[in-house]
Amino acid sequence: MKLGFIGLGVMGRPMARRLLEAGYEVSVWARRPESATPLLAAGAILRANPAEVARCSDVVFTIVTHGHDVETVVFGEQGLSTGFAAGSILVDMSTIAPALACDIASRLATQGVHLLDAPVSGGGVGAEAGTLAIMVGGDAAVLERVHPVFAVLGKTLVHIGGSGTGQVAKACNQMIMVAAIQAAAEAMRLAAAAGVDPAKVQQALLGGSAGSRVLEVFGSRMVARDFKAGVEARLHHKDFGLLLNAARGMGVTLPVVASVGQQLNALMANGWGGCDTAALLQVLEIGGRS
Amino acid sequence: MKIGFLGLGIMGRPMALNLLKGGHQVVVWARRAESMTPLADAGATVAADPADVARQVEVVISMVADAPDVAQVMLGERGAAAGAQSGLVAVDMSTIAPSAAKDIAAKMKAQGIEFVDAPVSGGEVGAIAGTLSIMAGGTEAAFAKARPAFECMGKNIVHVGDSGAGQVAKACNQIVTGMGVMAVAEAMCFASKAGADPARVREALLGGFAYSKILENHGQRMLDRNFKPGFKSWMHQKDLNIVMQSAHELGLMLPGSAMTAQMFNAMVGSGLGEEDSIAVLKLLENLSGQQ
Repeated sequence: MKLGFIGLGVMGRPMARRLLEAGYEVSVWARRPESATPLLAAGAILRANPAEVARCSDVVFTIVTHGHDVETVVFGEQGLSTGFAAGSILVDMSTIAPALACDIASRLATQGVHLLDAPVSGGGVGAEAGTLAIMVGGDAAVLERVHPVFAVLGKTLVHIGGSGTGQVAKACNQMIMVAAIQAAAEAMRLAAAAGVDPAKVQQALLGGSAGSRVLEVFGSRMVARDFKAGVEARLHHKDFGLLLNAARGMGVTLPVVASVGQQLNALMANGWGGCDTAALLQVLEIGGRS
Repeated sequence: MKIGFLGLGIMGRPMALNLLKGGHQVVVWARRAESMTPLADAGATVAADPADVARQVEVVISMVADAPDVAQVMLGERGAAAGAQSGLVAVDMSTIAPSAAKDIAAKMKAQGIEFVDAPVSGGEVGAIAGTLSIMAGGTEAAFAKARPAFECMGKNIVHVGDSGAGQVAKACNQIVTGMGVMAVAEAMCFASKAGADPARVREALLGGFAYSKILENHGQRMLDRNFKPGFKSWMHQKDLNIVMQSAHELGLMLPGSAMTAQMFNAMVGSGLGEEDSIAVLKLLENLSGQQ
């Protein structure tokens, strides 16, 4: 099976590398050719544009930032869709709106191309280690064909349902994760304001019912006041825009998530979009007792 | 003056009629031909499309549902821009995002057409009575040219600033009214669950610093349990979405508006979308088991 890979950022680069190491032939393309360089040394083949990648691949993976980036890569000039043969598979691992994923799937279906929406959770660390959680929307038979490739990238693979459902699961993931980061930040804030060592509090909580992966990973960053990006907060801000908009469209009320979304707006306003989302702690420190 | 009017719905129809009453020559167009009949009967000229309207007028006004509709009637094929005479001023009185208004203004300017965003507050009642509040964004000259038209439709007419400023003012209006309705509904629920007569409470509050038009008018309708629109909940939801999207783009923290927007989501989701926004009272009652 020949693979294509587009989107060689913090997530995409280690994922593509794992595919090469597993012995697949991987065609790549990047808007900035220099981001492909490290992969070429590992054996990737650089193509002139997305259409070329599609022509040379049975399955193409994309992982880019915004919905409109996916649309451009797929349907733009020299886009993937102009190079796809009928029966090809596109696996989009970006986080985009569920409605857009459905729309792209139906547009590709008219030329006999299958889309799996397969967003991931686990960050750069999970991408390096091949331990991502992958949530897939699309046809089960198509997923069956791609399954061995997914096994190289992730540890948990769940077929959620039809097109767009992978993105719904990802939205749910982001809601819980960022709300938990906010909860951890508020706990750390309360501890510090009360004159208690936040590190001790975190340590104590990790052993009890409040223990969580977020409290462990993001809580530690808060304790160390290390706000260098793990996950850039601007990406969570983007995701919250998408999911709150989807909730509005469905007439669903998400009061806590909406409130966390406002904390993310404040984070952006302070120029911390490039920091880790643990910087939500700094938003809490703007107001109230210092 | 010769004035064009695009969009003859609940708001647009009475606004165009008031232009006729004010002695202006009015050329109209609407997507559904039957909406033009009452205007034709009142003396308006019916045009084939927005370009045909623009060809005949000095000021063209649109009153439609949302930003894509405005872009369509102004800039689409056979849109107003396609028929514009030199010096045409285009005015959009719909409620759309400030960023969308700015974008349309820039595209119109590229074709030599001045664009004014001039959303309104006051609802159908204000549109019929010609007492709308009009908040405008655009150049001084364009505003001055459109002013005689505004004076037929509204009472409180404010030139807020440059392109987009009218829509910013309207978004602010929806923040204040949205949270105002929530505040009054919460006070009414609090009063009755705590065992005080909400009517008496409202009466007492009207004399103090909690006085507002919303406490007076919406509060009375809550007491009467009169949920007929008025201003439909789904439209308020749409407007609050403009607020929240803009806040997201700007990096602006609006916790109260965010919570209010969630309540309006719940209203629309639970089938209260066609009722007046005061139906948020019913939602609060349900949530607190007060029915």
